[in-house]
Amino acid sequence: MRQQYAVRSLIIVAGLALVGLAVIVQIIHIQNSEQAMVFLSQGDRYAGEFSMVYPERGEIYDRNGHLLAGNRTVYEVGVSLSEMVNPDSMAYILGTYLGLTYEEVYNKLTQSPESWEYVVIQDYVGAVTVESLRELMQQLNDADDPRLNGLAFKPHFQRSYPENDLASNVLGFVTRDGRGYFGIEEKYNDLLAGNPVQIWVPRDPYKATEIPRVPGGTTLVLTLNRDLQAKVESILEQALIQYGAQNGTIIVMDPRNGEILSMAATPRMDLNNYDNYFSLYDNGSQYNRSIGMAYEPGSVIKVLTMAAALDTGTVVPETTFIDTGSIEVGGITIQNWNRDSWGQQNMIGCLQHSLNVCMAWISSQMGTQAFYGYMERFGLGHATGIDLSGEAIGRLKVPGDGDWYPVDLGTNAFGQGVSVTSLQMLMAVSSIANEGKMVTPHVLYAMLRDGHQYNVPSQYAGSPISAQTAHTLNEMLAISLEQESSQALLPGYRLAGKTGTAQIPTDYGYDPFHTNVSFIGWGPVDDPQFMVYIWLQTPTTSIWSSETAAPVFSEVAEQTVILLNIPPDAVRSQLVNK
Amino acid sequence: MQGQATQIIHAYKQAPWRVQRQWIGAFLLFLIGAAMIAALYLDVTARAAVAGRDIQELRYEITTIQRENADLETRLADLTSTAVMQRRAVELGYRPVQPGELDYVAVPGFVAPEPAILLSAKDALFPVQPQPTEYTQSLLEWFDERIKSGGAR
Repeated sequence: MRQQYAVRSLIIVAGLALVGLAVIVQIIHIQNSEQAMVFLSQGDRYAGEFSMVYPERGEIYDRNGHLLAGNRTVYEVGVSLSEMVNPDSMAYILGTYLGLTYEEVYNKLTQSPESWEYVVIQDYVGAVTVESLRELMQQLNDADDPRLNGLAFKPHFQRSYPENDLASNVLGFVTRDGRGYFGIEEKYNDLLAGNPVQIWVPRDPYKATEIPRVPGGTTLVLTLNRDLQAKVESILEQALIQYGAQNGTIIVMDPRNGEILSMAATPRMDLNNYDNYFSLYDNGSQYNRSIGMAYEPGSVIKVLTMAAALDTGTVVPETTFIDTGSIEVGGITIQNWNRDSWGQQNMIGCLQHSLNVCMAWISSQMGTQAFYGYMERFGLGHATGIDLSGEAIGRLKVPGDGDWYPVDLGTNAFGQGVSVTSLQMLMAVSSIANEGKMVTPHVLYAMLRDGHQYNVPSQYAGSPISAQTAHTLNEMLAISLEQESSQALLPGYRLAGKTGTAQIPTDYGYDPFHTNVSFIGWGPVDDPQFMVYIWLQTPTTSIWSSETAAPVFSEVAEQTVILLNIPPDAVRSQLVNK
Repeated sequence: MQGQATQIIHAYKQAPWRVQRQWIGAFLLFLIGAAMIAALYLDVTARAAVAGRDIQELRYEITTIQRENADLETRLADLTSTAVMQRRAVELGYRPVQPGELDYVAVPGFVAPEPAILLSAKDALFPVQPQPTEYTQSLLEWFDERIKSGGAR
């Protein structure tokens, strides 16, 4: 009996073992079947997603901490097609809220490829619109109404410029693909954008791991003074209207260190609507004329000619020159701006009356080697190295070039036959305001990254003239400005400067009716703290710089001394003596 | 002799019910051990899952807060932009100052403060309070330190 039970038990155990074994075999079979591979790959697909983490683009501030370029949240509005219940009502509601037509939305919802799980209806939708849609969704959800089921909002950043068009020519802009164009945004695009990182985000919370920290883009602090920039832009706008000029630029720089305090150019663009770019500019060089457009500057270059002549010892301030109204250089006769003869002049008189003949005589006395050697050292024909994209380098013809003629030695001395940008002139003349040392202009003041501040040191681009020459010329230009009773003067402050009226070269010679007017000036003469360059294109009320650019300089200087807290000379000397 | 040996073996052989009990005890011990390990594993797994979910939520929260910060900063800049401030100043009856209306006063030792954006970066450069060694050194390192210092703190 006992043995009978044992046999039965063994049979049952064997049967169960066989069933168990069959189950295990089947499990192994299923796990390794072809279908299993398909299911596994499907499972992997939904186990998480690769996500590209784009760091927040670095912000841009002015030197006083005012935000010039930041970021704001916008949304991608899309629909999860598998969750969508009613494409009709979805199309109607989204069309109404997003400013799209019913057909446009409906077609996207119904005619997407079958494999699509999700369809984007519109991107870069503002927070206000999304908030309204969210409220509507909530109301419908509360009422168990499935009409907006599947609607999704994906937030992301968009570049925002709180000051709209202020300093637009310096800042540049960022397009929707996240790339910076022009100015700071292009020059420092890599720093500002940071490094995007692709990560795997598992849906299984057990597999959740720490996401690598993606540092944001570098924040930049500029040398610009926002308030001065606004004032200078306003002055430039007024000047264009008042003098009927086409376009213009004004740059204010600290000659001691090359910091650009303000850089205004026209036309400006609302950076939040960069679609206007093509309607405002014909080509990239027009975006920031201060650095992108070279022109024949005319008489402002006489400052450099005189600096070179003084430095070589060719002339001293008291050197006399008998102006007969014309001089022949390279077989071509050169005349003064008014075709008059000015008689006996010293070098201050030559600058004061802006005599072309005198300057051509000076350059001839110096000779080509010395003259062009100095012009090269002043940086003409070379990039200034400013940290903005789109810089033009102008043209300085030198002996040996195919298109250089001996007469160029004479005409170049008073700013004809040579092209420069406003910034190049400012940089070159900074040597006169800065004891012979020429500064490299720059716009970046500091970079902030990971809680560290990296200051941008001032750089010098050589000393083309001696400190003594700089002092002498500084004084000569101050006297010439005072004696000329120039409209550039500012009561209470001793300033130095020079006008420039230049004919405009065309394919058929110089335009007899239009001019480019410029002015370069700085102050206070005994301790230069600001330097201004003005260029107005083809003014119509007057062709002369002394009647157009000079008064604009006075206005800019007035606002600059107020905003930079520079007391009048008398007050300053009292404060220093205390 | 053989009879004596059988007697001795009998004397030391466990009773069958004792052997059964030992087997059952061992099995139960194994079962309890396995259950404890399983419970421990389940607990750790559950905690890890909860922590993972918390990480996911915190990560989302961080992103949301970063966006809010950026939005607020931009909004603040909008409200204090040059154009807005000028308009408000005019509405409040202010006008631009003229050069002759300014008074300058020398304040010895005064240095104009730097903007907050630069100061915030400099604050971050201050040395961070170092973590106490209790949190970083191993037991062996602690023993070593104690021995070297002769037990004095």
